Amino acid sequence: MTLGSQCRAGAVLISLIGSAVGSAETQAAPVVNCDNCHGNREFVTGVRAPGDTSLFVPSPTLAETAHERLACSDCHRGFDAGFPHQAASKVSPCQACHESEGREWQASIHAPTSAATGDAPNCVGCHGSHLVYRISDRRSPTYSLNVAALCGRCHADPRIIGTYFTAVDKAQARTAVAQYYETVHGHALTGAGLTVSATCNDCHRSHRVLPADSAESSVNRNNIPATCGRCHVGIVEIYAQSAHGAALATGRRNATGHAAPVCVDCHSAHGIVRADEPRWFLGVVDECGTCHERLYETYFETYHGKVNRLGSTLAATCSDCHTPHDMRPATDPASSVFPASRVKTCGGCHPAANANFVRYEPHGDPQDRARYPTLYWTWLFMTILLGGVMAFFGIHTVLWLGRLTLDRAREKRAARSAGRPGQA
Amino acid sequence: MTRRALNSADRGQGPYLWRFTPLQRTLHALVIASFFGLVLTGLPLHFAQAGWARVLVGLTGGVEGAGIIHRLCALITFGYFTTHLVSLARKLRRGGGWKRVLWGPESMVPQPRDFRDLVQMFRWFLGRGPRPRFDRFSYMEKFDYLAVFWGVAIIGASGLLLWFPEFFARFLPGWVFNVATIVHGDEALLALSFIFTVHFFNVHLRPGKFPIDLVIFTGRATAGYMREEHPLEYERRLAAGELDQLVAPPVSRTAYLWSTVLGFASLGLGIIIIGLVLWAVLH
Repeated sequence: MTLGSQCRAGAVLISLIGSAVGSAETQAAPVVNCDNCHGNREFVTGVRAPGDTSLFVPSPTLAETAHERLACSDCHRGFDAGFPHQAASKVSPCQACHESEGREWQASIHAPTSAATGDAPNCVGCHGSHLVYRISDRRSPTYSLNVAALCGRCHADPRIIGTYFTAVDKAQARTAVAQYYETVHGHALTGAGLTVSATCNDCHRSHRVLPADSAESSVNRNNIPATCGRCHVGIVEIYAQSAHGAALATGRRNATGHAAPVCVDCHSAHGIVRADEPRWFLGVVDECGTCHERLYETYFETYHGKVNRLGSTLAATCSDCHTPHDMRPATDPASSVFPASRVKTCGGCHPAANANFVRYEPHGDPQDRARYPTLYWTWLFMTILLGGVMAFFGIHTVLWLGRLTLDRAREKRAARSAGRPGQA
Repeated sequence: MTRRALNSADRGQGPYLWRFTPLQRTLHALVIASFFGLVLTGLPLHFAQAGWARVLVGLTGGVEGAGIIHRLCALITFGYFTTHLVSLARKLRRGGGWKRVLWGPESMVPQPRDFRDLVQMFRWFLGRGPRPRFDRFSYMEKFDYLAVFWGVAIIGASGLLLWFPEFFARFLPGWVFNVATIVHGDEALLALSFIFTVHFFNVHLRPGKFPIDLVIFTGRATAGYMREEHPLEYERRLAAGELDQLVAPPVSRTAYLWSTVLGFASLGLGIIIIGLVLWAVLH
């Protein structure tokens, strides 16, 4: 598919002119002037197949690319040895120069598929063949603003997803690229032109792309805090000291069998939104609730939770009391909900909060008689009162209706029988 | 019943007699208006998980707007409650008035005869005796009145706690706000459940009263109505020669129209609200 890899020598008659002329910068000056033949469109068109122009590579092609100082023969080794080109001549692998990148790619999930079917990219698949612009060059497909589109060429392709992704991954894979554009990262990049914002390769790596279930993967659960931390400096240190970070480090699971959440569990992977947006504020409760089930339910029994349910950001949500990243058990003196810290924490919204005020139970559970006896008895009294009054007057109403209906039916019957002789 | 009128207080023979004073009618209208305001803005919070909650709170100005309406209606509630207490105090002070207010046929205080009436009512339901004959206030009307009295006190007090938590936390522990939340919501749920079913049935929807009784709006009902619904009061006043002082002119067309519209609107809205509650509870 590229000139270099496909070019077969010896098929064309050619005149070799100016063999001494070559790139001034390269030490090994080419013996032949490639441009004499490959710079002539008519001449090289159709050599490999009718209408195929792939052998047409006029000489300024490499100008402004990362390889502008290279000669053709630096990659097309041996092609400068004379004409016809030697059959044994091959394109020098990119690894010859780009050693570490090549090694990383060899270890990626792209490498075996690339070799087997060509459906996954090798170097040229992403960087191009001749037009290998620097990644800082806007023309490069690997320029940060272009990466999502580049990856999307395969990762938004139903054929690729259908063939290479497991059933579990398919749903996420299908929407990942499209979703990315809607995230805070995607908006920053495409909307605000912030080239420092994360794009595919910032999380998934450029060359060593590995599926999340691989322990080596940058997006493996255990590695995610480090991956996000490459940009979000400071947050990861806080997270590491939190209950979540500690549980991740030890592999401990909570009472409901859930592993410790990492960044993407709350922020999602491809649906990340700004944490000051209402939809984040309203949605984060559901994220916390996937593990903290009872606290989730009891939160919605309180004013805070009910207001949140109604779609308002007026009242506190999980992270307002428990902090976004430094959540710790209430028994930890460093916790925002440690009894001595509550006046300050509640004071964030209730400036006049005092020691009395913070004895409010933000997760008070009337069903939990052992822990909240007062709430339990209050709830029981109110329920019996409500049920009792409604049951008593329900019976009262039904009986009354029954009595009136019976009496009316009897009156009608009496009127009919009284009226019959008159009618007859 | 001789006349088939829409308003059951128009049915029956005889002249119109005054039953409620302008102050009583005004206060009841304020009860209706503020109660609907409170229910419509409080119910979405109580049943925040119901599908209609967000719609209803959206119609009432969002959580902030609904909160403002709720507090304004609370002020109206405190206003009519205070007005009633003042009028009650005046009646008590008037020479020997406290006897009439606290006991006897004109009093709202439950008395032995109310319990006898209740038993008699059940006997009548089951076909084991005649229908009890009521004086000025039946035990149901007394229950309605005292339920509002209790309800305003309980819901009002718990509501104030939740309105000014930082102030009350100066001398009360924070868990009272948990208690207040349960009490406020459940007592309010009881109030609306009772009013929009039992009260509506007793006063408006039962056969003989259906579809509406406007006496609380117009203040007057026919002598025939009084003989049927409050025979003891009628006979008592007849014997005392007080009936002549109670004769009222028929209600004006405008007042009748307004009463009808407000009455039916309230009935309809109340029944819709019961539907919303059932929807939320059954889902």
